[in-house]
Amino acid sequence: MIWGPMIAWYLFLAGASAGAFLTAAFVEAKYPDSNKMRIAGRIIAPVFVGIGLLMLMLDAEAGLMNPLRFFYLISNPGSVMTLGVYFICIYMPVALVVALLEILKKKVPKWLTWIGIVFAFAVAAYTGFLLGVVKTFPLWNNAILPILFVVSALSAGLAATSLVGLVTDREKFEHMWLVKKSHVILSAVELVILFTMLVIVHTGSSAGAATVDSLIAGQYALPFWAGIILLGLVAPFLIEGYPVFITKRVETSTTSLVLSVIGESGVLIGGFLLRLLVVLAALPLVFV
Amino acid sequence: MARYGMLINTKKCVGCYACRIACQMKNHLEPTEAFIRYEERETGEYPSVYSEIIPLQCQHCEDAPCAAVCPTHATYITDSGVVLVDENKCIGCKYCMAACPYGARIVREETGVVEKCRFCWEDGKPGDPPACVGTCISGARVFGDLDDPASEVSKAIAEYNAQPIAGDLTKSKIFYVR
Repeated sequence: MIWGPMIAWYLFLAGASAGAFLTAAFVEAKYPDSNKMRIAGRIIAPVFVGIGLLMLMLDAEAGLMNPLRFFYLISNPGSVMTLGVYFICIYMPVALVVALLEILKKKVPKWLTWIGIVFAFAVAAYTGFLLGVVKTFPLWNNAILPILFVVSALSAGLAATSLVGLVTDREKFEHMWLVKKSHVILSAVELVILFTMLVIVHTGSSAGAATVDSLIAGQYALPFWAGIILLGLVAPFLIEGYPVFITKRVETSTTSLVLSVIGESGVLIGGFLLRLLVVLAALPLVFV
Repeated sequence: MARYGMLINTKKCVGCYACRIACQMKNHLEPTEAFIRYEERETGEYPSVYSEIIPLQCQHCEDAPCAAVCPTHATYITDSGVVLVDENKCIGCKYCMAACPYGARIVREETGVVEKCRFCWEDGKPGDPPACVGTCISGARVFGDLDDPASEVSKAIAEYNAQPIAGDLTKSKIFYVR
């Protein structure tokens, strides 16, 4: 095990930040009068990625002790980590300025939002590629992981923003059918992608098989099934999917509020656990 | 320009671990830190069973995955093919450790810098010979210039048909007799 919980937190927070920024942009375009959701997304974006970057620096001890060394991070464009630094160097200031404009009640220019959208996707995707290009670990070294991370990032950002919308402006939130529908669909898609990845990793190599076994039936089985699958994917899918696709009516009851809070929190917990287990459970190929 | 490499003859290795100790002394490592590790396993089939000990360290790959992923260029390859870490550039992100297929890198407790075997590199050249080679009691290790067909290491590689530990995976420059 090379990386631990700190890196998992970073991968989660960077992804959720990008997801929150994209959610805010989506809400602004489709529901221009839903101020609170939009503001929430725009503030969550820089805060989450900021905390994540702090985690990164705490984990990189040699850099922490000599902070000037972090400037060398831009020197190898062939490294996905350096590419990520480029993306964050653009995304972070954009997210900050957007949040600041929002706080100052000024209008955010469209072009700035678009730059933010492009680089939010780049940041969410790079967290997957960062692990994806590492050939030593079959759980990371596959083309599905970056896609899984992007979908999970969108879902987590949507959940974090929705949680604020749900508590502060429930009336409007319950009418945002597009947001709710996207959320349900994301959960279903993520479940399929995760399943696909595990099947392929299991088939590819003995190290991959051992990794997947440790997730589904070994030492990580409890957080995997209870945390990622049940709490993070199935429960949110059912909780949000039932009113959106079955009853098709606007919920007002307290029970549904509590359920929704559980669903959204579940997505966040599941999103973090996904990163944590992907980081912790990966076993290396043995070449000797 | 020389191209440095090593031969490790596991058939001569007795598993005394002297190479690791010599390396630790030479490189001022803590007792818990080591640039050399060992894979031990049984080979063959009953009744012809052998215990094989494979000393592993940085393979000084020409296609070094560690150098490719290093975001700060702290890991670099010298003109003579030795993979080195500039400890003044390393931030300790550990990306190189993830990328190394041989598990050859460690985080130094004191500095947080990731380090590894450097063929006892000092003053612009490798050790003559590196500590592990000089201390080996059974002559299982040979070091030298791979580009010089007359060098001891080149001759030994040819004689034993020694091979890199993982084929042409990373064009590594430590050759094993197994």
